[in-house]
Amino acid sequence: MISVTPKTLSDQNVKLDLNNLSPEQVALEIKNLDLYYGSKQALQNISMSIPKGQVTAFIGPSGCGKSTLLRCINRMNDLVDICKITGQINLHGENIYDRHTDVAALRRKVGMVFQRPNPFPKSIYENVVYGLRITGENNRRVLDEAAENALRSAALWNEVKDRLHESALGLSGGQQQRLVIARAIAIKPEVLLLDEPTSALDPISTLTIEELINDLKKQFTVVIVTHNMQQAARVSDQTAFMYMGDLIEYSDTNTLFTTPSKKKTEDYITGRYG
Amino acid sequence: MDKLNVGRHISGQFNEDLERIINHVMHMGGLVEKQLAEALTSVCDADEELAKKVLSNDYLINNAEVSIDDECTRIIAKRQPAAGDLRLVMAIVKTITDLERIGDEAGKIANVTLESFSGKHKDLLSNLDNLGRHVLTFLQATLDAFTRMDFDAAVKVHQSDDKIDREYEALMRQLMTYMMEDPRSIPQIMSVIWSARALERIGDRCQNICEYIIYFVKGKSVRHTTAEDFESLS
Repeated sequence: MISVTPKTLSDQNVKLDLNNLSPEQVALEIKNLDLYYGSKQALQNISMSIPKGQVTAFIGPSGCGKSTLLRCINRMNDLVDICKITGQINLHGENIYDRHTDVAALRRKVGMVFQRPNPFPKSIYENVVYGLRITGENNRRVLDEAAENALRSAALWNEVKDRLHESALGLSGGQQQRLVIARAIAIKPEVLLLDEPTSALDPISTLTIEELINDLKKQFTVVIVTHNMQQAARVSDQTAFMYMGDLIEYSDTNTLFTTPSKKKTEDYITGRYG
Repeated sequence: MDKLNVGRHISGQFNEDLERIINHVMHMGGLVEKQLAEALTSVCDADEELAKKVLSNDYLINNAEVSIDDECTRIIAKRQPAAGDLRLVMAIVKTITDLERIGDEAGKIANVTLESFSGKHKDLLSNLDNLGRHVLTFLQATLDAFTRMDFDAAVKVHQSDDKIDREYEALMRQLMTYMMEDPRSIPQIMSVIWSARALERIGDRCQNICEYIIYFVKGKSVRHTTAEDFESLS
């Protein structure tokens, strides 16, 4: 006789205990992070663990610090002169804010995609292999293979395979955004940061990118900032709600969108707070 | 309604949508309560006209169910409610299903009035009337808890269903004794049994509605749980 273990619907998504992740489950660990722009404190004592191979979304009203926090993860805030950061962000147990960290190497491990697609004024092919070329890779076979893999992973291959050497600027907005994602994943980062990746796109391109994010998490850890709450609900496994520089609530997406534990979270996700 | 917190959305239209469905549910609850009260009165007073009125008014409850259902579907499609709003819409969708079934049960009770009862069976009907009054109070308490989305009241009402079950069992034993004593009255007694069963089912459905209230307020599903689980919630 075949025995069947009863399985409830909610078991289909394995729920992680975000406060007790084992070291091998953690991709990034943020510890007591404070960030100041001049005298203004933009992030206050943020501590959270971002699990590996999952999609984590940051949501919150404008100016709550979600993009700032995302930019901390690959040290983009280093470019802001008045920015001061204390606390730690650990990638593989090593603090990325350590004095000895090689920032270029860090950004190869932590790729980033922005709100507006920003392809280089080069061919589609050259855009994708750019990251590999600057690391000194010139072997044509290696580059071809990497370009195809990255474009396939970004769900763009079928649309551009016959015009790889045409200008990337001739692609539509949605295609350009997927090209930029292909460029980011061509160098095989561990973490992919997406800063409102679909806010400049039409609804169909948005759905394509969302579907892509779902596929990408099999290979990378994805962290996404989005203004669109329904998008966070659709694509993410974990959601963090931020408000005025504080991390208010961080839990699995199913719980956060059905039974949030904090009143502020409830007010925000139900549209009671603007 | 303040406790439901529906009036605080940035979108005034969303506030209105939610307020409208809540008002419709209350109105539907009122209709169901009236139907049950009139069905019981018709049995007690052997008022055939009233029983016919109850049967012919059942469509009002059915229509209310369909229209509230439609409005809930529309809200889900257009507003993508989350958290408390989502739980409210889900609780309403389930509540109206139970209310509609309570309406059907009231119809079954009204049907008994249309059966011919001779004078010697009148005392059977008075026992049924007692159970009916208790169930009606139970329904009123449930609707009251729903209107206020009152967690404590819902738990209290939920637990008092046991009393109705016990009363139902006592009535059953009594009816069986009658059947043994006078087999010729079995057809009439069977009608009373169906009505008693309908009343007992109404109690169960009120209990379901209390569970939806608890789900809305606490975000926890308490269906198929024990009394201890209930206590851990409060």
